[in-house]
Amino acid sequence: MNNKFVINYIPGPTMLHKLTGFTKVFLFAVMSVAIISTFDIRLLVPLLIINVIEIISMKPDYKPIVIMFTITFFTVTLLGNIMLFFVSPGVGLTNVGAEHVIWRLNDKLYLSKEFLWYIFVFFIKRTASFASVIAFALATTPSEFASGLNKCGLNYKVCTIVSLAYRTIPDIANDFVNIRNSMMMRGVELSKKASIGKRLKNTVLILVPLIFTAFGKVGSIANAMDLRGYGKHSKRTWYAEHEKTKWDPVIRALTILLLALTLYYIIRYRIIDPYPVDYWCPWVPREEIQQTNAIDTLFILKWIRKLKGE
Amino acid sequence: MKEPIISFRNFGFRYKEQKNPTLHDIDLDIYPGEKILILGASGSGKSTLCNCINGLIPFSYEGEITGTCTVNGTDTSTASIFKLSDSVGTVLQDTDAQFVGLSVGEDIAFSMENDMIPRAEMLPVIEKNASMVGMQNFIDHVPFNLSGGQKQKVAIAGVFGNDVEILIFDEPLASLDPQMGMTAVELIDDISKETGKTIIIIEHRLEDVLHRPVDRIILMADGRIAADMSPDDLLRSSLLSEYGIREPLYLTAMKYAGCSLEDSRNLSDLTALELTPENEEKLKAFFTEERESVRENTNEPVVTFRDVSYSYNSGRKVLRDINFEIRRGERIAIIGRNGAGKSTAAKLLCGIIRPDTGTITLEGTDTSTLSVKEIGEKVGYVMQDPNTMIVKDLIKDEVGMALGFRDIPQEEAERRVNTALETCGLYRMRNWPVDAVSYGQKKRVTVASMMALEPDVFVLDEPTAGQDYRSYTEIMKFVNTLNREYGKTILFITHDMHLAIENTDRAIVFSDGELIASDKVFAVLADADVIERASLKQTSLYTLAVKLGLEPESTIRHFIEYEREMKADE
Amino acid sequence: MSSKNVGKKLVGVWNTKTIVAVAIGAALFGVLMNYGGIPVFTNTSLTTAMVVPVVVGAMYGALPAAVAAGVGNVIADLIGGWGLWFDWSIGNFCAALFVGFGAYVLMSKFSTKNVILYVVLCVLGNGLAFGVVTPILTAIFYGSELNVTFLQAIYGSLSNILVEVVVGLPVLYLLSKRTAAHSNLEEE
Ligand SMILES: Nc1ncnc2c1ncn2[C@@H]1O[C@H](COP(=O)(O)OP(=O)(O)OP(=O)(O)O)[C@@H](O)[C@H]1O
Ligand SMILES: Nc1ncnc2c1ncn2[C@@H]1O[C@H](COP(=O)(O)OP(=O)(O)OP(=O)(O)O)[C@@H](O)[C@H]1O
Ligand SMILES: [Mg+2]
Ligand SMILES: [Mg+2]
Repeated sequence: MNNKFVINYIPGPTMLHKLTGFTKVFLFAVMSVAIISTFDIRLLVPLLIINVIEIISMKPDYKPIVIMFTITFFTVTLLGNIMLFFVSPGVGLTNVGAEHVIWRLNDKLYLSKEFLWYIFVFFIKRTASFASVIAFALATTPSEFASGLNKCGLNYKVCTIVSLAYRTIPDIANDFVNIRNSMMMRGVELSKKASIGKRLKNTVLILVPLIFTAFGKVGSIANAMDLRGYGKHSKRTWYAEHEKTKWDPVIRALTILLLALTLYYIIRYRIIDPYPVDYWCPWVPREEIQQTNAIDTLFILKWIRKLKGE
Repeated sequence: MKEPIISFRNFGFRYKEQKNPTLHDIDLDIYPGEKILILGASGSGKSTLCNCINGLIPFSYEGEITGTCTVNGTDTSTASIFKLSDSVGTVLQDTDAQFVGLSVGEDIAFSMENDMIPRAEMLPVIEKNASMVGMQNFIDHVPFNLSGGQKQKVAIAGVFGNDVEILIFDEPLASLDPQMGMTAVELIDDISKETGKTIIIIEHRLEDVLHRPVDRIILMADGRIAADMSPDDLLRSSLLSEYGIREPLYLTAMKYAGCSLEDSRNLSDLTALELTPENEEKLKAFFTEERESVRENTNEPVVTFRDVSYSYNSGRKVLRDINFEIRRGERIAIIGRNGAGKSTAAKLLCGIIRPDTGTITLEGTDTSTLSVKEIGEKVGYVMQDPNTMIVKDLIKDEVGMALGFRDIPQEEAERRVNTALETCGLYRMRNWPVDAVSYGQKKRVTVASMMALEPDVFVLDEPTAGQDYRSYTEIMKFVNTLNREYGKTILFITHDMHLAIENTDRAIVFSDGELIASDKVFAVLADADVIERASLKQTSLYTLAVKLGLEPESTIRHFIEYEREMKADE
Repeated sequence: MSSKNVGKKLVGVWNTKTIVAVAIGAALFGVLMNYGGIPVFTNTSLTTAMVVPVVVGAMYGALPAAVAAGVGNVIADLIGGWGLWFDWSIGNFCAALFVGFGAYVLMSKFSTKNVILYVVLCVLGNGLAFGVVTPILTAIFYGSELNVTFLQAIYGSLSNILVEVVVGLPVLYLLSKRTAAHSNLEEE
């Protein structure tokens, strides 16, 4: 079960792996902000490429990554877009600022070039975010993650929550399997064929012991930590926060550069002189953009208006 | 006269959850550099006593303290646990829970991290402590694929993090294979010799601990100190049997042979034991007199493994081409070193996991055609870790649960649950929540829940881990009755050679995923090569035989046959 | 109940036990988010992860529950490779704050009044978190289309409330029984 997760407990051999926890956490944080801050394909694509390069440079086992990518995107994104198409095909207009209809059934249901552009850009943005997460998960061991967060000024108790959580995930996975087995051995039917009600009941039947087993360990783990002086001082050092490699300064410098650029972009193009719509689009020149208020498109509001209107 | 480093003065403790105190008027002095062994029935308050020394009581367990306990001159009821943690290091009973780090190195470093020691200074210490327990090559391994024994070693290395004066080991040998157990005992002894630290060991496996000398043995019973004397005196006295502690095998043999223990010196150390001439004669006579030997079991096979191989998703083959056959009504001991694949074999039998290649047949039907549930109606499996089996929160519900799913008449179910609870000595606690009892008691809960099902094939994984002798004998009596009266087949997965010798007809020995022996127990235990490869250890009977210049195999056989006769007479 | 009392219930007691419990809670949340779905019909499932804040809240107070859910969601995203969705993590944090509080009160006394309070808090918390907080953040962070976001949010809240009530209440009842059975133990 736990082999399905992208967790990397053992430090890897490549340059990125060897960086200190702080560098990786810092890079990841800035990267996320950068990706979140923009809807401009001209920035998203480079960001995506950077992360893809990072991933490739670590020579990972691609199988779980590919599985995740497919699952995530062919359930979440695809379904989301189909739903989107039926709920509000006009999203192109609101976000891209124009509408060149390709195909129309009636005024409720139609397909426009901008709609396609919107979902394309949105897909790129999601993929970039996905890639950055995978890159981080591959590069960082949970302990480095925790120590890095602490270096970023987060209280070390919160950081231990993170590393402890990662520590217990495989145990939980094992407990789950064992509990399910001991239930089946003692005559509980847990097959997929059961009805929803039965499935709910069975899930609870496993869930309850799983929860009690998991939280039953709290006492002894806490004791083990207290006995070894956890929380003795207001600070603590980290075995996982090893000394800098020659690459750390370089990466940190680049990260700071990225941060500066992001801030500049946000201030310059999103606050001082914001582009009239979120999504830049090659075939929609700025002066032709028609602005609409996204709030107006809310069906709830439309209903309310209807009720008031007629 | 030195000042005691630990001293209890009419000390008592009651857990908030308990109505009555768990510890009563304890008066105890422990001096610097002493090496103490604490014996006592499961639930007698051993762990509780130690938690009073390391400060978990009252820091972590609420309750009511009477009297005083001073460690290093500070009263533990007022001292902060941090202050105590500088002078007391504890290896808890549950080594899995106490592995908080994400790698061996990190776990050893944990206490230094909390002391804000710079990483540069940690590294050499970690190196040193790791190599002290022989884990220097595992420093960046993750806990998840370490064997129970290795975790134990890391835990020991972990308590050296900050240089403490007192070391407490709570059942360090539970679920270690005999070899590993011996190594652990030697390790602890070396530590006490080299560093002169005060050492307190809690353990049920008396014989194994006595592999290296201890200064004093403290015998606990129902939260009181029943005895506090030197090993020799204790062994010579009748206290052990009174308080249901298992005595070393060679002593049992000597008693069977009618030797007088009064005039034999160094009782606690077999190699140095001086046997008086008449004792030697008696033993020789006892070990050579003829008895009718155990008859062959010729029933039809219930369980057959044919070329079974299995590997977890890690890829490495954990079992390779296993072949064996178990006949109806046989009692089998499955033995082998930690990580040999014993539990895996059991899981395969129960259909929880399915073989990559090969076939397993149960009562003539290929199990690949059966669901886990169907197998479960014939095979009862008591897992190694009780926590992963316990589902309900009240003891009697837990034991009765499985019966609820089978169509068994109410009163019949009642009867079975109660007998199971009685035999496991849990009847009086039947209405307790499962998590208010000690580890050994939890283990018995899981055994009871399977007993209640009365399965055809009964698989017990480490049934005696953390059990005292009394509950051990009770469980064995019941299992043996099931075997004798109802012809049930019993499989013990165990590291306990006593169990194998006294309660099984045949031993199946695993080593690194291969079946290396399947033979009468006494034959296996007399085979130096097998013992070596399965990381077993010569029982004291073997050593005794050598001491007497007798042939080990026949010696052990005689012992077993004699016990059988006695049991038959009972 | 006095204001100080309320404050305590909200913040909870933070000692090593709490830290460990929150960590385990977060881990459980992460695992259940990815594997604890009860398939209702294809592609939609009730995530049982929502029981975690209930349990943590019941035993350690509202803030621990919230932290467990928040961190848990981040971990779920990281190990599940969903890409970081701060909007939902923060949403879960807020929801858990309410649910945890309700659970904590319910644990102190398992009365009908408190059960009702708990259910109300569940509805309130989820409504606020996924009806307001998350959609706004989603719009800002990811510029998703509002209608879809709201539909998702509504579905999310409903399924969470369902789990927190249908599964959560029995679990809470068990818990309270446990703690009750946990006093005055005596061999019979
Ligand atoms: N946390 C707890 N809360 C309430 N009662 C407890 C707790 N821990 C132990 N007890 C009670 O105290 C008694 C002694 O427990 P303890 O763990 O000290 O026994 P032990 O001698 O260590 O047994 P074992 O050899 O099985 O570990 C048990 O009967 C149990 O009922
Ligand atoms: N769930 C699992 N996933 C991957 N590897 C496992 C798993 N369980 C056990 N193993 C590995 O399989 C091997 C055999 O494990 P098993 O539990 O059968 O040993 P064992 O003989 O029962 O040891 P012990 O005497 O310590 O219980 C070990 O090396 C262990 O690391
Ligand atoms: Mg104990
Ligand atoms: Mg095992």
